[in-house]
Amino acid sequence: MSFEIMNVFSSLIQKQAVDEIVKCNDFTFRFGLTLSRQDAIELVETRTFSLKSNGRIEFGGGVIEKIIKEFCDSPYVSMHNYVETLHELIEIFYFYKNETLDLISDDELIKFMKNSFDGKCQGSLALLSGRELEKMARNVRYGYAPDYSEDNEYDEEDEDGEY
Amino acid sequence: MANIEKQHIINSHNLSGEFYFNSILQEAYICGLLNESDLENIQLQCISLLAYKSERYNMGESSSIRVETAESIMKSNLYSIGVYLKSIPDPDYAAFELKTVKISELYERGRKLVNTRFQTAKRIYNMVQKNKLDTLNHSYNSTLSENGIGIFFKSYNLEYEAHDSPASIDYQLCNPVNDLAGIEFIQKYLENLYLENEFCKKFATENIHHLLYGYDKSYPELLINIFEQILTTALGCSLANRNIVELNITGEDIQYLYKKLRKYDHHTLMLTINYATNHIYEELNLTNPLLQEYIERSLPKIVTNIEIALKLNTLSKVFITPKNPDLEPKIHFESSVKMDDEEYRGLIEELLRCRYSSDKLELIKDKVKSFDDLEDILLDAQLEEEDFILLFNTLGDVEIAAMIKRHPFESDIQAVDLSEEEQVVRLYLENYMKQLPPNRQEEILQIAKHLVWD
Repeated sequence: MSFEIMNVFSSLIQKQAVDEIVKCNDFTFRFGLTLSRQDAIELVETRTFSLKSNGRIEFGGGVIEKIIKEFCDSPYVSMHNYVETLHELIEIFYFYKNETLDLISDDELIKFMKNSFDGKCQGSLALLSGRELEKMARNVRYGYAPDYSEDNEYDEEDEDGEY
Repeated sequence: MANIEKQHIINSHNLSGEFYFNSILQEAYICGLLNESDLENIQLQCISLLAYKSERYNMGESSSIRVETAESIMKSNLYSIGVYLKSIPDPDYAAFELKTVKISELYERGRKLVNTRFQTAKRIYNMVQKNKLDTLNHSYNSTLSENGIGIFFKSYNLEYEAHDSPASIDYQLCNPVNDLAGIEFIQKYLENLYLENEFCKKFATENIHHLLYGYDKSYPELLINIFEQILTTALGCSLANRNIVELNITGEDIQYLYKKLRKYDHHTLMLTINYATNHIYEELNLTNPLLQEYIERSLPKIVTNIEIALKLNTLSKVFITPKNPDLEPKIHFESSVKMDDEEYRGLIEELLRCRYSSDKLELIKDKVKSFDDLEDILLDAQLEEEDFILLFNTLGDVEIAAMIKRHPFESDIQAVDLSEEEQVVRLYLENYMKQLPPNRQEEILQIAKHLVWD
């Protein structure tokens, strides 16, 4: 059976997803962040596009909502870059779902993205996707903990005064 | 009286064994048992089932899934439903079930059936292990080992990859299993193999070994079907009035068969073969109807082989004359003890320093007393082709034959993983052989054929 039928099926899901994204405004309002219905439609389109370009399909929704709720309290997100940041985050998210070989869950990945974005990357999406997530994906693929770093090990050893 | 069969709207011959679900859907739609809205409803249900299974696959931790994984899960779901629908003898009723019963319910029934089949296949696998033949054929042994079909019982995933059969199966059956997948394929393969074994077990291991050795010396490495060879020879024995159990046909028998069978047309040949088959049943006391049915299914293939061989006068390639490898003439070759390592190193150094071929030859003649040392020197001393020719001229036929046996001429592609020195030795040896008179070449090759190392 072909997956083209998904398109008919997903139009229903898409409408539902837009409603859910708009509903997030109630939560993000206190951080001074809101999305219009048009923004929400575009975000859903980005999701559909990212899924397709990364060779994935999604049955339920919810990832955009999770990203919004996780990132809305970031000091590096404000109303003027909110929508763009969300678009990029969605694309990065699906790309790294593949890169991590589905070994880490949605929630873990989003949490890692948020911590790195606020921490080491200081709000830079380029650093987030090009450095932190790249490193994390490599660690996961080789069976290390996501935040494993060879530099850390040397640092620790330094502190122990072994060198 | 002919069998009375119930008339069905769906023609079961149009249904695919491997993709049963898709084909029954298609046929039911063509026959008008399902309409478009039914199809749409079934498709939507299939997708809901896929969504449910994907979520379980991800254990609720991920909302998206790779397209390939989703496709595989979908195939697995449809396969399981297909297994259930296939178990309903009336395809019209199966179409009715598709229309009236929920897809998820059909899937559950299919899954249970797949599980039962899995257990059955496991039992048959154990039975096959018990009636396994004692043979040198590698593909047979490896297919029946833990790393062959054995893998299947460890890694079959009936939840998400029920349509797949993860096993390493190289051994070819006489009646190959087509148009089945997953557990159904494995079960059918094992059933057929069990029947083949049951037949072959009627013959002594030694006789089978001699027969296959007569077919080809290197039968342990070949991808052949043992059952087919035995059945063909048994038929030949029966036709030539020989003892079937001994599987022994001689050249004269084959000549006799050629004269006898050449006159027959297809129909008469088929009748004769059928008669011979019944004779085999009696002689070997074969009463298992399943085995008889299996043998009869193999006959058309064998008859075709015989017909072709009769046309080309190559009957001796179909009816094989057994050969006992122990009775073949052998030349035993023994190399004396190698020289001491220290001494050998000294000799090589000296040889490398030598300028003239005659000096090298003298040195070798003087110091080398063992064939193994000579072989090492050919590889290590960086001799020129001229030195080689001079050296080989001093050797007898047996030594050259032994050298050929150790370094056989192979095509470039077979020799690709040999060291450079070894390739050089082979090349020089081949060139040397080519310039010998043809009758001496023949003699040397004959010796090489019968040479055995002690």
